[in-house]
Amino acid sequence: MNPFQIIRPETYEDAAAVMSRGDFSLPVLKAGGMDIVDHLKEGLMEPDALVDVKRVRRGGGDAIVREDDRILIDAGATLAEIAASPLVTASAPGLAMAAGDAATPHVRSVASAAGNLLQRPRCWYYRQSQYDCLKKGGDRCYAVDGENQYHAILGGQSCHIVHPSNLAVAMSVLDGRVHVIGGDRDSIALGDLFQMPSRGVRREHVLESGEVITHVSVAAGPNSSYLAVKHKQSFDWPLVSAAASVQMDGGRIAAATVCCGAVAPVPWRVPNVDAALVGVDPEDSAAMTAASELAVADARPLTQNGYKVQLLPVAVRRAVRMAAGLPAIAEDRR
Amino acid sequence: MSSRTRSAAAGFDVTTAVSDIRPANDGIAMDTDTSRLDGVPKIDGSAKYGRDVLPDNVAFARFIRCPLGNAELLSADADAARAVPGVVLVRMDRDSANYHGRVVGLMAADSPRALDRGMRALNMQWKPLDAVRGIQDMDFDDPSEQDNQALARADVVLEAVYTTPVQTHCCFETHGSVVDASAADGTVEAWVSTQGVQGAADGIARALEIDRSKVLVHADYVGGGFGSKIGGGGKEGATAARLSRDLGRPVWLFCDRAEEHLDTGNRPSSRTFVRVGATNEGRITGGFIRTAGDVGISRGGGGVSIPSGRYDLGSIDGDHRDVKCAGGGPRPFRAPGKPQGAFAEEMMIDELATQLDMDPLQLRLGLERSDERRRMFQRGAAAIGWDKRGDTKTAGDGGVVRTGYGMGSTNWPAFPSQSEAEVIINPDGSVVARQGAQDIGTGHRTAMGICCASTLGIPLRYVTSETGKSNQPYGPASGGSVTLTNTAPAMEAAAAKALERMTTALAEREGGEPGDYGVTEGQVLRDGAPIMSWEEACGLMPRAIRGEGRHSPRRGGGRGGSGHSDGVQFARATVDTETGVVSVDHVVAIQACGRIVCRKTTESQIIGGVIQGVSYALFEQRILDGQTGAMVNPNMEWYRILGSKDMPRIECFLWDHGATTVKPIGEPPTIPTAGAVACAVYNAIGSPVRSLPLAPHHVLAAVAAGRNGGGA
Repeated sequence: MNPFQIIRPETYEDAAAVMSRGDFSLPVLKAGGMDIVDHLKEGLMEPDALVDVKRVRRGGGDAIVREDDRILIDAGATLAEIAASPLVTASAPGLAMAAGDAATPHVRSVASAAGNLLQRPRCWYYRQSQYDCLKKGGDRCYAVDGENQYHAILGGQSCHIVHPSNLAVAMSVLDGRVHVIGGDRDSIALGDLFQMPSRGVRREHVLESGEVITHVSVAAGPNSSYLAVKHKQSFDWPLVSAAASVQMDGGRIAAATVCCGAVAPVPWRVPNVDAALVGVDPEDSAAMTAASELAVADARPLTQNGYKVQLLPVAVRRAVRMAAGLPAIAEDRR
Repeated sequence: MSSRTRSAAAGFDVTTAVSDIRPANDGIAMDTDTSRLDGVPKIDGSAKYGRDVLPDNVAFARFIRCPLGNAELLSADADAARAVPGVVLVRMDRDSANYHGRVVGLMAADSPRALDRGMRALNMQWKPLDAVRGIQDMDFDDPSEQDNQALARADVVLEAVYTTPVQTHCCFETHGSVVDASAADGTVEAWVSTQGVQGAADGIARALEIDRSKVLVHADYVGGGFGSKIGGGGKEGATAARLSRDLGRPVWLFCDRAEEHLDTGNRPSSRTFVRVGATNEGRITGGFIRTAGDVGISRGGGGVSIPSGRYDLGSIDGDHRDVKCAGGGPRPFRAPGKPQGAFAEEMMIDELATQLDMDPLQLRLGLERSDERRRMFQRGAAAIGWDKRGDTKTAGDGGVVRTGYGMGSTNWPAFPSQSEAEVIINPDGSVVARQGAQDIGTGHRTAMGICCASTLGIPLRYVTSETGKSNQPYGPASGGSVTLTNTAPAMEAAAAKALERMTTALAEREGGEPGDYGVTEGQVLRDGAPIMSWEEACGLMPRAIRGEGRHSPRRGGGRGGSGHSDGVQFARATVDTETGVVSVDHVVAIQACGRIVCRKTTESQIIGGVIQGVSYALFEQRILDGQTGAMVNPNMEWYRILGSKDMPRIECFLWDHGATTVKPIGEPPTIPTAGAVACAVYNAIGSPVRSLPLAPHHVLAAVAAGRNGGGA
């Protein structure tokens, strides 16, 4: 890896200033450093400065607070803090589940909320320097004719990455926002934070270079969930995931929001599923299955990831059941 | 059988049931619960592995490798690399390569960072060529035209193809060496991550064309081996040695994680075609078994051990093909050829049992060739709760989450190897036990200390156990499960010789005959009565007493030899039939261990074998890119290895029955696990998953095929 400076600003404002001042040709923000170190080791990124915001906090108070009907979480709050927060567990349970399901206890104790959102995709062609793929300025996506068992089944265009963040999927169903400084806006809705490859294949989000996330926020509410289907239960990425939030009315779903993970280049909202769930009794497995199947109505699997088309409706159905307070699986064990 | 349960620190329960714990030789209790002597240094970091050694003025070396499965090197800017400050050597040896990771050159530098920059500056440009694909899509010649009497006698015939993927060696401590061949007196010192410290000294002497007596190799701590670190220090050791001599300074050369996956050997993949018949009474009449294995660019080594010989499979017409492909070649891997063969064989038997409408346990009891394993099967069935097993035929009618049971068997021969040992009793009572094999994580250092202490009749705390240096008394390479079976007799002989010299000296001084004296629990006895402490007796000696031991077994396990080890395993697995996710809940492992020198490390060997087997069954797989032939998962992220949440409850039964010799247990416990797990998944979902790993996409395909009346 190339030599670089480490800058330790005291505040997010200072960090934003360093990022936009032009002293460095490629300053990169670093919090937990999980993803940055991977990039440095593989030579995928050659920053001349790391702006280390790991210990920066907005104020002197708690990293996670409630303000009116929203929960505010410091950008630097760790996944472990989010997963263990009584506030999040009670008022945004899906977010706590998503944070607690990521990686390992060790990683969760280091990885930050903002870093989790902005981590780069795990595509093995992107992550290894010998593949000159679209994301690195090359002219092709190796996944199309290659090993694509973990790639996108939805929204794949030129590039078939899947969005890697657990938190983004959970926040998508909780009216999530990221709050920024250093630009000409205060906050961005989660649905607007990420961009499809067609809008820019080299980066996955729309933040400007001087913009720094100070905190994220979600709407408080009791009925949300997150569920990942993983091959390995320790330290693995989801094959598919789903988050759901529901409002119940007399045993039926009055409103639902579902988001799918690990199936598309961005957290994948499924408004057709949301609409179909309205009025459904979550114990009615036929109706639940029919609504969940809509999640893959537009799926276009690659050569090796057809199994995800089968998995995603299962994850959606189970996540909705959990959000409605039911066990993920209706039947008992044999 | 007594039984006890303890909670291991790792967070999974280990229940151990031991038959007939009793003192072994002459009332010396061998069956100890001793924690490994080097456990604390390994945890607190004071244990120094080869790659931790950084001599003054060391140069860091790294192989230059091909990044694609088959490619031509168009250009490499060696001059630019040489111009990088700190780079001391750039050497290009090849301009093409036929597998990902193949060595094409060598670079050395003053620091790892300079090496990184040099590699970047080299800016290799490769032209990809078509990579040779292996057995993945191969077909076997159809044997249907051939007349086969065994099949003609059969009531049912099973035809199936079973496949297993390449399992890479990915030792925790990667392959490598530090070698200092710069000394003016021509001596060479090396720190090698090796399974054979004696062979490593041979290899480094050969590489430098110098006398072996000039070479001292240290392998004080070794971070895993599993068969890939047997070869005399490997190319890493030989290269580091020559480079050190050329540069006149010590050289550090260790693989990084990707290199470790790519080019340090593997368990080859396998493809097994079976067309085998059985009678309604549960006798297998025979048939065809054809196997193939990917051997990368190697000439051979892809064998699949089926039939295993453990079951009577009738008259089998078999053949095997090694198939080349663009990939690193095989190396011995914990029971080479055996787990892949056992997977196919156990699944074949379970599938035949379904066709015959028989309980697979009953079928195996009839096919089994060993009375001992038959008894083990009955014991294991009780331990796993086989009576709760449902019928495979009706498994498809179960709920979303289904449980199944499977089983498998194992055996391993005793390989003889010469061993030597040395024991020194100091006048202050301290003792040194010295044996020049190596502790690759197996507990050898601990076992040697116990053999010495128990033979002398003193507590282990008196003994310093030294191993892992090439100038110590000869020991075998730790491969083939030979270490303790052959070193224990040597160490016990050395301790007995030292004790004999001590009692002779005592008799000369105190009167009586040497045979009047003995030592028990640190007390010296005369005619059975305590007369002084161990320290007092040692203090009477004018100087240190030395004892030497040698073990020279005949082939087949001669005097003090080890005997054959049998075992069986049972697995209970849960399958989520909507997601295809498999969870192994419980494994019962029964293993004949013979005389148990150290129960805790013996259990650890068996638990480790099961863990590696479950990981092989569920997760591990080298994935080669269909376009470039390059491995897309040469890391610990996408090359999945079982983690703590994937750990089953593992129940070990150390099967003893009065054996007086130590049996080989390094390899056999990993042989049957994958087969037993696959049989459990088959029993759970009612249709066979014939390809490892038991990954969601394979399991979902089998579930779907079961609905349509077939297998996957």
